[in-house]
Formats: sequence, structure tokens, C-alpha cells
Amino acid sequence: MDGVKAALVLFVVALLQLAVLTEYSAFRTASIVLVALLALALLRGSVFGAVAGFGIGLLLDTATLGTLGVSSLLLTVGGFWIGRYGETTARDRFHSPFLSVAVVTVLFAFGQLALQFLLGEPAPAGLVVRGLPLGLVLNLLLTLPAYTLIRRLFPPLELGDRVREVRLLG
Amino acid sequence: MPRNRTVRLAVLGSSVQRTAASGYPSSRSSALKRRTIVGGLVLLSLVLITVSFRSSALDGAQGTVAGILRPFEVAADRVSRPFRDAVGWTHGLIDAKNQNKKLRLKVELLRQQVIQDESAVQENVQLKAHLRYHGPPSVRDFDRVGAAILTNQQSPIDQSVTIAAGTSSGVAAGSVVVDPSTGGLVGTVDRARSSVARVTLLTDGQSAVTATDLTYPSAIGVVTRGGGGSDVLVLDSVSKSAYVGIGDTVITAGRLGNGALQSKFPRGIPIGSVSSASNNDVNPFKNIQVEPLVDFSSLQSVIVLVPKP
Repeated sequence: MDGVKAALVLFVVALLQLAVLTEYSAFRTASIVLVALLALALLRGSVFGAVAGFGIGLLLDTATLGTLGVSSLLLTVGGFWIGRYGETTARDRFHSPFLSVAVVTVLFAFGQLALQFLLGEPAPAGLVVRGLPLGLVLNLLLTLPAYTLIRRLFPPLELGDRVREVRLLG
Repeated sequence: MPRNRTVRLAVLGSSVQRTAASGYPSSRSSALKRRTIVGGLVLLSLVLITVSFRSSALDGAQGTVAGILRPFEVAADRVSRPFRDAVGWTHGLIDAKNQNKKLRLKVELLRQQVIQDESAVQENVQLKAHLRYHGPPSVRDFDRVGAAILTNQQSPIDQSVTIAAGTSSGVAAGSVVVDPSTGGLVGTVDRARSSVARVTLLTDGQSAVTATDLTYPSAIGVVTRGGGGSDVLVLDSVSKSAYVGIGDTVITAGRLGNGALQSKFPRGIPIGSVSSASNNDVNPFKNIQVEPLVDFSSLQSVIVLVPKP
């Protein structure tokens, strides 16, 4: 059930990104897809994050007629990594969504740049670096509302499950 | 009240394995399973990149899915349009007063210019007919296919937009795209599917077009993206001896360099105006910056030039 809900949420978010946010040049460097994916990965774990990242990446590449697999690869790795962070050290920490978004925004930009370079396409590092601060700020601004909404749709799993993480011996 | 506690010994540094939280579905699965899934997805992504980059095997499927997504994108666009219009209206209201005076002056100048141009055009047509002159193709030799912008996903890495017209409308890879309001050059079609196509903008690093100064046609060069973060273009490879004036209009040359080879861009499509021109000892050519005529950030629709059958 969570999977279907996540697919719907990410589809709507992708439409919002492609058809609405990109209309405003100021928001073009922001990525609500990335923010939503990381929120989902934090709340539902690494495999969920990786599968969601792959799916949404494929959707973005298809809709923009880009090279298939580029966004999928980056978002799969990003979703998995932040999912692992969510499963291990990030629980119930207020800063974890912001930290995740900040780190992955930077890594995503450089990852995209590296892939472009490897594919032999123009990879303007200077432009990416110059556009990064604005993208980072906008993504961080989007984090709180997006994470709150996604947390409401995907409530954190029960506390009882979590305390079994540490086994006391004696 | 007795406290319900038992004495437990905390063993630090013991080799006891901590169990993962069972609340997360992925944590429940074994580490091997998790790694297999992620490894499989990464591998699948790499296969997709390879196939998509090296062949056109996935083009059909991509085009079909993009066609399926199109109604959703159009619906999202229509839902957001009132908000966008409101923002545009407010922005326009602020700018309107400032622009009004400037535009009135410009209209007066252009009116005089149009009168001169019309007589020159008539004279040109007559002379061509007398000489039986066949020049490079112009915009009039093409059919015009109008298309709405579906996605305007411009980023420093990828300066492209997708449009709602494809091979079914005669659009093909390499078709030239212009702006309907200004007539300025937007870019070329990079990939075309049945109902959608991707346009690489002139501001993309891969775009280049042979261009010339309308006033001084001997200045021929190649317009490419400028080095800065803005949309400013560069007219490169123009000889230092050629004269280029500030404010001159730069148009497509319709041919490759000074040779007779035709360019895929018909002659006479305006690109922008010269904002600066200088010489230095380092660059063997003139340093010319061109302010584009088209506002690439707010494109709503485009016209694709399709060869007449």
C-alpha cells in the first residue's frame, strides 16, 4: 500500500517539478523531486528509497526525452544512501531531513556533472558551481513543508520496533 | 512503589551483533537482499544509459511513455496557469510604466525603419528576379509548425525544452526552432518522437550557429554560449579586421563560414544584438558578446520550421 501511495506522490511531485516549478526561472535550480524522494527514503528505508529513486528518475528522463538511466542512477544511489541514514543514525533528529537534502543536492549536482563528462557531453563545472548555492537554499526551503507533508502521509514506524535495535545483555 | 527493573550488564565492545530495526521493511530483509536490489537497480540504470546513449532501441518506448505523460503535463500546466498569470500580471504592472516611454520611442524609430526596409525588400525582389539569383534558403521556404512548451527543464548542464509536436507534424531532428513573438532563434530539435520533441536551446554548450552582422555582413562568425552564467551569447571566429557595431543585429548567416556550403539554419533569423565588441592580443578573433533576442527562461510556445514538401 505504501508503494502505491509513494508512486502517486512522486508522480504528482514530478508533474509539479516539470510543469509548474520550471516555469519560474528562480525555481529552476530547485528540485522538489529530490526533496520528496529523500523524505520518503528517510521515513521508509534504503530499499524503498532506492526503488523510488529509480522509478522517479526514469520518469524524469522519459518526460524530458533525456538519456535514459542518468537520473535513475543518481536518484537510486541518493535514495538508498539516505534510506540507510534514516535506518541507522537519523531517526527522530530534527536536522536529518535538512542535512540529507543539503548533502544530496550537492552530490547530485556533481554526480550529474561527472556523468555528463563521462558521456562526452558538455559539463560546465563553473555554471553548476555558480548555480548550486541558490539550488541548495531553495531545496532547504522546500524541505520543511515537503517533509512535513510526506511524514503525514507516511507516518514513522512504531517506536516499539525501534527499541529492539539495541539489545541489553545481562 | 516498587520499580520494575532487572539488573542488566552493559557489555561494551562485545562482539554481539545488533539486530536492525524491524520497523523498516528494508531492514527486515537481509543485507544481502538489500545489496542485491540496489546493485540490480544500479546495473539496470547503467544498462539503460548505455542502450539509450549508443542506440535508438529505446526511442520508441520513450516516445510512447512521453506521449502518455503529455496529457498530465498539460493538465498540470492548466491548473497552474492562473497562478502564473497572476505573477506575470503583477510583474508586468511594475515594469509597464518604465517600459512604456522606451517602447514609444522605439516604435517611432522602427516605423521609419520599416518604411525603408519595405522599399529595400521590393527592390531586392525585383533585382533577384532580373538576375535569376538563387541565394541560401530563407524562413519563407519553410512551413511553420506551432508547438507549446511541455517542460522547460533548463539547468546549467542541460539547456533544453520539450515541445508538444513531433514527427507526426513533420518535425525532425535538426529542425530549426524560432520564437513566435520575436521571431528570434531558439535552437534546434535534438530528438523527435511521434508527438513530442526535445529542443536544444541556443544557450546550450552543444549549440552553434553561423551568424553575421546584419549591418556589416562581412563579419561572419559562430554564435555559441557565453562563458558566464547568464544567457549572453558569444559571436566567435570573427576576424579582427571586420567591423561590428554595438547594438547591431546578429542574424543567421545561412551558410557555413565564408564558403558556399549551406547551413541548416535559413538565412535571416534574428539571434540578438551586439552588446560588446573588443579586440585583445590573446584572442586571434574579435571578442563579441550578443544579447539574445529571445527570453529563454519564459518560453511558452515555439515555431518549428519544417521544410516545405
